[in-house]
Amino acid sequence: MNGWTGQILRVNLTTKTFRVETFTEEFAHKWIGGRGFAVKILYDELKPGIDPLGPDNKFIVAVGPIAGIPAPNTGKAVVAAKSPMTGGYGDGNLGTRISEHLRKCGYDALIVEGRAERPTMLYLENDKVEFIPAGDVWGKGTYETNDWIYAKYGKGVGVLNIGQGGENMVRYAVVRSLEGRAGGRPGMGAVMGSKLLKAIVAKGTKPIPQADAEGMKKIGIEDLRKVQQLDKESGWSIQSTNGVLAWCNEVAALPVRNFRKTHHPDAWKVDGERLNNARIATYGCPNCTMRCGITIHDEAGRESELDYENVGLLGPNLEIFDLPQIGTLNYMCDDYGIDTMSGGCILSFYADAVDHGAVPGDIKFGDAEKFKDVLRRIAHRDGEMGNLLAEGSLRASRAIGKGSEAYAMQVKGLEVAAYNCKFIPGMALAFGVSPIGAHHKESWVITFEIKQTSRDSYGPEKAQKVIDLQRIRGGLFEYIVSCRFPWIEVGWGLENYPKYFNAVSGLHWTLDDFWTVSDRIYSLIKLFWLREYPDTHRKLDYPPAVWFDPSNADTEGPIAGKHLEYDKYDGLLQHYYDLRGYDKRGIPTMATLERLGLAAEAKAAEKYGSLT
Amino acid sequence: MKVTIKLIGPFVNQLGFSEKELEVPPATTAEGLLAMVKIDKARPKIVTRNGRAVAPAEEVQDGDRIVVSPIYSGG
Repeated sequence: MNGWTGQILRVNLTTKTFRVETFTEEFAHKWIGGRGFAVKILYDELKPGIDPLGPDNKFIVAVGPIAGIPAPNTGKAVVAAKSPMTGGYGDGNLGTRISEHLRKCGYDALIVEGRAERPTMLYLENDKVEFIPAGDVWGKGTYETNDWIYAKYGKGVGVLNIGQGGENMVRYAVVRSLEGRAGGRPGMGAVMGSKLLKAIVAKGTKPIPQADAEGMKKIGIEDLRKVQQLDKESGWSIQSTNGVLAWCNEVAALPVRNFRKTHHPDAWKVDGERLNNARIATYGCPNCTMRCGITIHDEAGRESELDYENVGLLGPNLEIFDLPQIGTLNYMCDDYGIDTMSGGCILSFYADAVDHGAVPGDIKFGDAEKFKDVLRRIAHRDGEMGNLLAEGSLRASRAIGKGSEAYAMQVKGLEVAAYNCKFIPGMALAFGVSPIGAHHKESWVITFEIKQTSRDSYGPEKAQKVIDLQRIRGGLFEYIVSCRFPWIEVGWGLENYPKYFNAVSGLHWTLDDFWTVSDRIYSLIKLFWLREYPDTHRKLDYPPAVWFDPSNADTEGPIAGKHLEYDKYDGLLQHYYDLRGYDKRGIPTMATLERLGLAAEAKAAEKYGSLT
Repeated sequence: MKVTIKLIGPFVNQLGFSEKELEVPPATTAEGLLAMVKIDKARPKIVTRNGRAVAPAEEVQDGDRIVVSPIYSGG
């Protein structure tokens, strides 16, 4: 089967056993890889209601059919499991040499089951699978763990690891790969920690089956050069993703003070220009042609890698306008293996709750020293408040009560990314219907919305744009498993992706074929949620309530007095459901499921929740 | 009349300034203002006036803040 190895490695940590399984061509064509493989495996194999942090959960690493070949920005892998944050399907992608090495070991996916008796590192080398004691680095951060791994196996291996956040099952702990940063916001690092799985290392040398390996190599190398040139011409990498901070500040979309405000006069101090001026190095993922990771020196002189999301949420959102201070908080998150986005939102939730008297404390917005202390306590679940905040803002607010739910900036239990949607209905919808909880990676409509539509509109054109982008960003790029930056930031054409796919698989797919796969995957994720939440309701697809609150509206600036409106948002949500073929709860109808080839999966869902 | 023009991202490096105040004649349009500072017309961009999108033919007003940014697409 060209394009795929046709094999999945299944490892059980409880019994220290492994098995190589094969999959059919039909499976490959229906789910492609990455997110597609992950959701199908988890849907078929997880019993609804299991504890995400218990041994019954499964941790998946899945790559796509263009992983490990020379093509622009393909050095990524998807990590997935039932989410400890949301209780629904959870995943994330990150740059890592695992993507290449897993394939060169002969696998398109890895399934990790059970729970190890003691801290363990999984080591794969071609056909070999070893369970290596990892007690030496249990309790250590991701940087030291990575060094330990490189000292053992050399720098060329593929690595996934966790820090203290994952070990202590902080629900928003991520998986780290120092070859390409972090992934798995909905607690994928906590799932590894719950299994006492400190790291996964892979080193493979087998050839990857391709229909036209020579042709692909030629195309891939040419295209790597072309994307590099596009990036150079555009100047995008000068400020990288943090270029958008100044723009968000200008259009009143920046999270400031736990999203209470949308802009701040000091925001320029941490914008893309300042980040570029402070740059000491630039990093990218394997096969990267437009490196987005800008590092600066934090307060202790350590290299800390910043992008817009972590600057926005650990900076202005906490009313911190000092790059080295933000760098320190970011470095701590990275070393602990804690998501910088949820981490920033939870710190701001806590400061807001204290500010409003919902919890006792003396933390104040802008106090970087106090935030560092709270972050340390969260990573170690130290003390009552550290332990509570390690649960995420939704759970913490429910425990605290006293109206603190209003300060939890989350959807479905996952905190929002760094776009303040007080008056950006389409982007609020994108957060609302993101299939893993609020995440910007699925659909990013904010520039379309502000440039090409009226900001006041709740019309179907916004719902359609959210779907179009979901098909590309949350679909194609998550199952073919490739970085979206060449397309979204420097205009590399989408038609290149079927070109790569067809070269490796020998198929003749068009983009339309891919959109069907995208819709299938989104629908199966919905069924996953339905089984976990049989009384599911459209309110689960609502953004944070504070964006609807007139008392929270800006009092000055471009959107003074403006806020989202419930009735209108609900209408926009209905447009989305209608265009998607979902019912009023946001669940795909039987007709939609059958059209997407999901009749068997629908039958499995009906044991737990009704379909229409 | 006076308007402020603010550049974002690579526009700063291309034109050599980040933000400046300009004296412009009455009835200057957004498009005309961009031409005055020699912004590449062909390059995709998003232009806002006081935080809201502005049409090329719209006239700028005294005290306006015009922001020119590449079309970012999200990290």
